[in-house]
Amino acid sequence: MIDFVLQLVIAGLTVGSAYALVALGYHVILRATRAINFSQGEFVVLGGLIAYTFVHVLHASPWLGLLGATAAGFALGWIYERIVLRPAARNGDIAVIIATIGCVFILLYGHALIWGSLPQPLPPFTGAQGQALHPGGVAIQEQSLWVFALLAFALFVLWLLFERTTFGKAIRAAAVNPIGAQLVGIDVNAARAASVGIAIALAAFGGTLLGPITLVGGTAGTAIAIKGFVGAVVGGLDSPLGCALGGLAVGVIEKLLAGWLPYQAVDPVVYTLLLFALIVRPQGLLGRRGAVRD
Amino acid sequence: MSAALLEVRALYAGYGELEVLQGVDVRVGAGELVAVLGANGAGKTTLLRAISKVEATPRSGSVVFDGVDLAGLAPQRIVALGLSQIPEGRQLFGELSVEDNLMLGAYRRERGARAESLNRAYELFPSLRARRNHSAASLSGGEQQMLAIGRALMARPRVLMLDEPSTGLAPRVVEQIFTILTRLRSAGTGILLVEQNAFLALRHADRAYVMAHGSVALEGEARTLAADESVRRIYLGAALDEEQTNGKDVT
Repeated sequence: MIDFVLQLVIAGLTVGSAYALVALGYHVILRATRAINFSQGEFVVLGGLIAYTFVHVLHASPWLGLLGATAAGFALGWIYERIVLRPAARNGDIAVIIATIGCVFILLYGHALIWGSLPQPLPPFTGAQGQALHPGGVAIQEQSLWVFALLAFALFVLWLLFERTTFGKAIRAAAVNPIGAQLVGIDVNAARAASVGIAIALAAFGGTLLGPITLVGGTAGTAIAIKGFVGAVVGGLDSPLGCALGGLAVGVIEKLLAGWLPYQAVDPVVYTLLLFALIVRPQGLLGRRGAVRD
Repeated sequence: MSAALLEVRALYAGYGELEVLQGVDVRVGAGELVAVLGANGAGKTTLLRAISKVEATPRSGSVVFDGVDLAGLAPQRIVALGLSQIPEGRQLFGELSVEDNLMLGAYRRERGARAESLNRAYELFPSLRARRNHSAASLSGGEQQMLAIGRALMARPRVLMLDEPSTGLAPRVVEQIFTILTRLRSAGTGILLVEQNAFLALRHADRAYVMAHGSVALEGEARTLAADESVRRIYLGAALDEEQTNGKDVT
């Protein structure tokens, strides 16, 4: 019984890592642009597909695929801010939200046109496909360990960037007070584009990490986008740590529920959690009330 | 009069459809403290915003800084040239530390120059050094204004523009701010000061402009303007009334 629960927790933390990265992406974009980017999940899928192209078309290692997908994610995010979010923002917040939803479908069908609509396999970063370690009777895929380690690495890099570098602080300054930022000489437009670049890079990174476990491509993006959003709201949209923990928690809850409930019942329960969070504690577990709007 | 460091000629500017400035001419020389006075809505704040190209947009006319026409330059390029502004409401980075706010003030300067300027800022405002790791939002109003000044000085501006630095501050703090402005002027910095408190501004300024309805209604030596009967009656009187009703300039 304990083993079974542990098994589910590990599986939950694995998918939860992708939700955590998506939730962090919501946080970064919301701060910089005051918009929720609903196409985040499709960029997770796109990241996996770019890594797939590196591995299967260019015959590169999965590591190079990870690097390539993350770098491509940053570039695509930068462009996405310039050609979608910024022009839409001139017509108000609702226009931005609708534009990001429109992009969900452009990306979803765009992926299918380029890579086909069937999910594709991605090799694990080390070891053979599906190879598992068995510490104390619990099976852990090697790839799951890479997912945890690389999620921790990504969080550390983000912390370094935003807490320890002038560039990262300039991005925060541009988000907190764009007028003040312009007056000290920060290029606020570039800071916004960089923020979206970082968020999409995180999404692509997550898609590549999870690829060897869940396959890449297909229609998984919407569920990832919504569950990442649930994680962000439950943890606190204005708290990076809250977003990461919220994403992981949603993954674990989802897998634990799946251990006992019929699969059709899992998502309704997860989304009820979202409603519950929005009604009872809209600022999230680690968020401050009204912080996002300040 | 020395050659002007900042020269604004026939400037028209506004927000979207709204035109506020209707042909403004203003000059500031090195080591000169120039005050801009006028009633609410006269266009004083818009003038500073249009020069920095933050929020307000210039439509026609020219702004030349040290021989460089600012037309076509982005706000960050203007700061890099040595023209800084301490805006209305200070616009600090509330969640960032005092030290981070100061360091970001030198964002356009090379890395090596930042530490020295930081030390100078702390010498000027010792209370900021004591609170270097506190968030800017946690400071008192007076300290926030000090931080706003310190942050702007980190860019080592040759012309510094201030939008109502005395608003809401205790007289002792206001006096301290004007002492610093006087020191900066002696060191050769040009200062363009927008101020509601006309008596205070005219007491410290070399020259002054009085704005009304988006253009310059009067200009001259500060001493002459302070003694001018019509200025006293119309503008200084108006400024006093506004102080009493606690009016706040939004344009």
